[in-house]
Amino acid sequence: MSSGGVSAVMSCVLAWLLPGAGHFYLGKRRRAAVFFSVVLATFLLGILNGGHAYLADRQQPLTYLGTLANIAVGPLEFLSRRATYHRLVYALPADENSPEAQVLLTAMRDKVKVVTDEYGTTYLLTAGLMNMLLILDAFDIAVGRKS
Amino acid sequence: MLRSHFLNMVILSVLVSIFFAFLTQNDRRERLKVMGILFLSMVVLSLLIAYAMFPFPLNTAR
Repeated sequence: MSSGGVSAVMSCVLAWLLPGAGHFYLGKRRRAAVFFSVVLATFLLGILNGGHAYLADRQQPLTYLGTLANIAVGPLEFLSRRATYHRLVYALPADENSPEAQVLLTAMRDKVKVVTDEYGTTYLLTAGLMNMLLILDAFDIAVGRKS
Repeated sequence: MLRSHFLNMVILSVLVSIFFAFLTQNDRRERLKVMGILFLSMVVLSLLIAYAMFPFPLNTAR
């Protein structure tokens, strides 16, 4: 792999690990600081508003997109997942009547009952989607498609 | 926790408009312009849509 390719992969990995880190690595420090602040603020507003992390559910395909958007924010996402389910879990068991699935569904329902849950969940999804765009932007800068 | 729907909408609009202004523009003046256009579009269009939906009942299940 060329040095440009390594740099592109590295910037994408860093961008996922910490919002704005990909841009920082590529020398766009001011932009990196703004992106970090905006994505972090959006994510924290999601947590403070009691938003819930999505679980991939085979019976509801759209939940895969929600889970992907949550994961896109990087390791920060562990906080929202732990706050929702008290552990790191990404998919609902195939048998929704199993005790494990019931525990997860109860945890999610407890979150959904919070009056600001929808606002919080929207903030969490927005933070993930913004970081997805940052990863793609860092890639474009690294390969020279954008300055 | 922020219970105000309007306040949440304004905060989200500010954050998203800052994000896209920095993502798409390099010049300071252009960033401010994009930020303003995006922010006003999100807030004004949301209010217009909300106003258009006002006659619809909240709950039709009876």
